[in-house]
Amino acid sequence: MVELLGYTFMQRALISGALIGALCAVIGVYVVLKGLSFIGAGISHASFGGVALGFLLGVNPVLTAVVFCLLTAWGIGWASRKGQIKEDTAVGIFFASTMALGILLIGLMRGYNTDLFGYLFGSILAVTSQDLWVTIGLGAVVLSVIGLFFKELLLITFDPEMAEIVGLPAEKLYFLLLSLIAITIVISIKVVGIVLVSALIVTPAAAAYQLTEDFRRMMVLSVVFGVGSTVGGLLLSYWLNTASGATIVLLSTLFFFTAAAFSPRRWHRPLLNSPS
Amino acid sequence: MDGEPIILLEHVTVAYQDLVALEDVNLSVQPGAFLAVIGPNGAGKTTLLKTILGLLRPIRGTVRVFGKAPWELDGERRRIGYVPQVMSVDLNFPVRAGEVVLMGRYGRIGLVRRPAAADRQAAILAMERVGVADLADRPLARLSGGQRQRVFLARALANEPELLLLDEPTTGVDVAATESLYELLRDLHDEGITILVVSHDVGVVASYVDAVACVNRRLVAHGRPETMGSEVLSCMYGPEAILFGHGPVSHMVVTPGHGSDDE
Repeated sequence: MVELLGYTFMQRALISGALIGALCAVIGVYVVLKGLSFIGAGISHASFGGVALGFLLGVNPVLTAVVFCLLTAWGIGWASRKGQIKEDTAVGIFFASTMALGILLIGLMRGYNTDLFGYLFGSILAVTSQDLWVTIGLGAVVLSVIGLFFKELLLITFDPEMAEIVGLPAEKLYFLLLSLIAITIVISIKVVGIVLVSALIVTPAAAAYQLTEDFRRMMVLSVVFGVGSTVGGLLLSYWLNTASGATIVLLSTLFFFTAAAFSPRRWHRPLLNSPS
Repeated sequence: MDGEPIILLEHVTVAYQDLVALEDVNLSVQPGAFLAVIGPNGAGKTTLLKTILGLLRPIRGTVRVFGKAPWELDGERRRIGYVPQVMSVDLNFPVRAGEVVLMGRYGRIGLVRRPAAADRQAAILAMERVGVADLADRPLARLSGGQRQRVFLARALANEPELLLLDEPTTGVDVAATESLYELLRDLHDEGITILVVSHDVGVVASYVDAVACVNRRLVAHGRPETMGSEVLSCMYGPEAILFGHGPVSHMVVTPGHGSDDE
């Protein structure tokens, strides 16, 4: 254990794993409670196009992916808000088209880029110090915005109509939330990969939901599960010699089923007609 | 009653794409009124409330709330309290009753700012007023139907409104809790709050409110409860509805020419 922590790559992996586990867990609370899981999956797949674009242009793929994912998130939000198509249809369209664009862009590149597959399935042990600083910087931005708009994000998640009625800019706040989800996804894809990142957002929050009926407590529990999954999964993958991204996701799933088994929510479902 | 109406709808037509939900509705609510808008499911009652709240814009006609178009309301928003239909939110959402009530103050508190002691005090007072102060720490999912309804009423009252709008406040609530809720509304009305309640429950509503308006896409009738007769019922629910009209409703007197839109 001690010798393991002596490696710089392992230190970076553990720090970025813990940070991203916490960040995904916090944003996941909103995603789970507002039912945005499919949007999360759509945005993460869209990041493939952004990453490919970054490689093609020779710039840091995280930056191009951030722009790409933000545009996709706003596109989904805009298309469904206009009421012309349903939200899941909008996700379905963007999901595939942005991924297709990524595949097309890879085809334009000379040769074969192994790095790209690190983004698809995660390569936490290959996290560079530049990656780590990007994670810290963008993560700090996301968490500060959540802290600043804590009551507003709670209200648009619980009762968006009420937010509008009391005079809060409900639609802008919804787009803000989508943007935070997009940024979180992009900085997380290095850890578990594009294919699995939505699990890192949804699963810890879903596990926390099983165990509490208090919003703040759900957030704290979600962070515990999220950090436990990334750090625990990373160490497990090292000892078992398994793929780190997949191990992290499977560990978080194990947490979820354990939480569900002990969930007090299963024992009391209040009846609509119960007397006062 | 004289003076400028709090709510004024003139020839209002609201449509969802091709479907017309409200057609040529005229309604005027004076300060101090206690009005029930009744009508069958799908008659446009919720649409009417959402139009008054500015969530929907009419395709024709004018809407004025506190003298302004509802989507142009600014500081006036805090004069309105709204109690939505219970099913409009996720009842298993992990949030405590006290937090839900405090949400009523969020608009008044303003963006980014934290609730102050005065906001918490207002939330507590509102909970005391409706008799749920002891439930502040109770999760939403653990409230009974009647308690939940009072918590949502307290949320609206936390904003210290002059106008209270309620959408089907007694859905999923038993008879005793329904009656005590309407008694509470009558008390609030006596304290000077203007109330507009939307309901499909004609019988209970009629014995508490001052005036009833019937909506079935159009505003069918508008008047004092005792002047509203079986003609209105049949207009709303079809002729067979009169068979169910026992109790207070069946004893109402039918007066010709009650279809006036103005008081």
